[in-house]
Amino acid sequence: MSLTPQGGNFPLTRHSVVLAAQSNDPAVRSRAIDAIAAAYWKPVYKYVRMKWNISTDDAADFTQEFFTRLLEKEFLDSYDSAKGRLRTFLRTCADHLFMKQMRDANRLKRGAGCAHLALDFEEAERELAAVTAAESPEDSFDKEWMRSLFALGLERLRAGCESEGKLIHFALFERYDLNDADPKPSYAQLASEFGLAATDVTNYLAFARREFRRCVLDQLRDMTATDEEFRREAQALLGVETR
Amino acid sequence: MNKILLGLVLGAILGAIDGMTAWFTPAVRAQLAGIIVGSTIKGIIAGVLIGVFARKVHSLALGIVFGLGVGLILAFIVAQMQHGYYFEIMLPGGMVGLIVGYATQRYGRVSQLQQT
Amino acid sequence: MKRLSDSVVARLQADMQVPDLTGTRYAVVRYLARGGMGSVWLAEDTILKRRVALKVLDLVAPAADLPARLLQEARILASLEHPGIVPVHDAGTLADGRAFYCMKYVEGQTLAQYIAERNLTDRLRLLERIAEPLDFAHARGIIHRDLKPENIMIGAFGEVLVMDWGLAKAGAPGLRSGENGSARGSILGTAGYMSPEQARGDAEVDHRTDIFSLGAILWFLLKGAPPTDQPAVTATVPRPLAAVCRKAMAADPSMRYQSAGALAADVAHYLNGAPVRAYRESLLERAARIYARHRTAVVLVAVYLLMRLLFILFAHR
Repeated sequence: MSLTPQGGNFPLTRHSVVLAAQSNDPAVRSRAIDAIAAAYWKPVYKYVRMKWNISTDDAADFTQEFFTRLLEKEFLDSYDSAKGRLRTFLRTCADHLFMKQMRDANRLKRGAGCAHLALDFEEAERELAAVTAAESPEDSFDKEWMRSLFALGLERLRAGCESEGKLIHFALFERYDLNDADPKPSYAQLASEFGLAATDVTNYLAFARREFRRCVLDQLRDMTATDEEFRREAQALLGVETR
Repeated sequence: MNKILLGLVLGAILGAIDGMTAWFTPAVRAQLAGIIVGSTIKGIIAGVLIGVFARKVHSLALGIVFGLGVGLILAFIVAQMQHGYYFEIMLPGGMVGLIVGYATQRYGRVSQLQQT
Repeated sequence: MKRLSDSVVARLQADMQVPDLTGTRYAVVRYLARGGMGSVWLAEDTILKRRVALKVLDLVAPAADLPARLLQEARILASLEHPGIVPVHDAGTLADGRAFYCMKYVEGQTLAQYIAERNLTDRLRLLERIAEPLDFAHARGIIHRDLKPENIMIGAFGEVLVMDWGLAKAGAPGLRSGENGSARGSILGTAGYMSPEQARGDAEVDHRTDIFSLGAILWFLLKGAPPTDQPAVTATVPRPLAAVCRKAMAADPSMRYQSAGALAADVAHYLNGAPVRAYRESLLERAARIYARHRTAVVLVAVYLLMRLLFILFAHR
């Protein structure tokens, strides 16, 4: 059973957040930018920190301003999904904005009335400390994008499991698949821990994994404008090459 | 060419050549024709025997040993009849047997009847 | 929610590709390899209790026609019952919407792995066994179109299998490639092993495109690498074999061998010390070849003649 009525079918046309972010209706646009920011704020923050080596406060201000400008339709109106991926477009926009601010000698004005997003920069800063020196800002951006997508997919999965009364499925998934411990608990251990039969553990985990896949892909669909972009981004997300 | 026919032809040719070399020995040059005929017949007998063996036994090593043996035995009989020249007759005779033994095993075709 | 660590992200990414076998008779054992259109997984057939290989499309196929192409590949394989072509057991769609087919699991080595520890004769003998299934397919109007060393497996018992018929073009009714399947005029294949007409995207390539690839594979067997240009004579490649490669890889298909078997036969001629059709040898080369082929007989006769000569010389002293 699928947690959403759409199942795995991909609609031929869709109203993705990308299209919504280009809307003239401020309420629609604001919701869309919130969704884009949820997926991209950490990639953007870490990218500018790594690439331009600016202070944490400047990077935080820059990130807030970046998404405020998105909301003001400064960037997204010029986005054409036929010409490239949103991911690459946003990274390029971040570069352009930074260069523009440098040129204007008006760089990184703090608290420029754009702090409408509640972003945990301290957490992002802690995560940044773990990034290896060998990683390029571009690689870090892509990696954070993937991490954000998975995190948002997990949120969807949790919400879906909650509404369907399947929280135990999510708890098992969290305990087994999201667990860094080595060695992992065995299915038998999980069965006794959760008071389930071992076959139920197998089935519940299979369900959760299946739904997680779907949630991540749904999330990705929302963040892309066309089928073609979705397919290309999905290939990147899955780490598979095509010929 | 089947193994028996190959043995026969090779035995005859090598036997004839073997006989012809007697021309270089002035003492026996007068009997050259008899020597050539005798040597050819000896070669044919050896060749047929080796060919029959090759048809029955499919082994290069055994074929060579058998050929050598037949060549030596027949050459020994000829040397006995000549009352001498054991070395001069038996060494080439054995060599011819060895070559025919090798050739029948290596180049002789297995007949269709045998394969089925 | 707490931050996902790098290892968890990597695991989730890997998990995303694991085929959802719910409702099938198969259970995933492990990932095997990437194929042209998706990934190949080792699975257990839970009913027959045997290991099988599942070829599964990627979760999000890069092209909309891939499910149809995968099914066509399965049908082509199913129509080719030959010991040198991996048999298909089953095909369908998984719970996650991915098309798949199930085939025999071949445990073995790729051609490159296999030839690394083999001498030239052993390597050349493989060509005949690669050519057999190709001739079989060609006789049924099927062209492989992506022959390369990676698509040839040598099984645990030495059986040679031609794999990955994902780009195969079928002429037989019921298997015929659709406009979207092996799209007419599109460039499919692998550089280095692809015929010029295929590289140009000619609409009507025939079985001789596979002959070109087979020639390139022969070169690979000789040198361990695909030819970069026309196969040239080198110190390590005998002239007759270089000529065989050149004939097989002629730019004009009509100048190539007209069947895979004819190409393999010429290689077999070389191995047996017989003259090769593709190469006109000099008198000296012919003598050397005959000597090499009949070395023992020549030596025995020479020893005999030498012995006779010595007898004559001693008789005259």
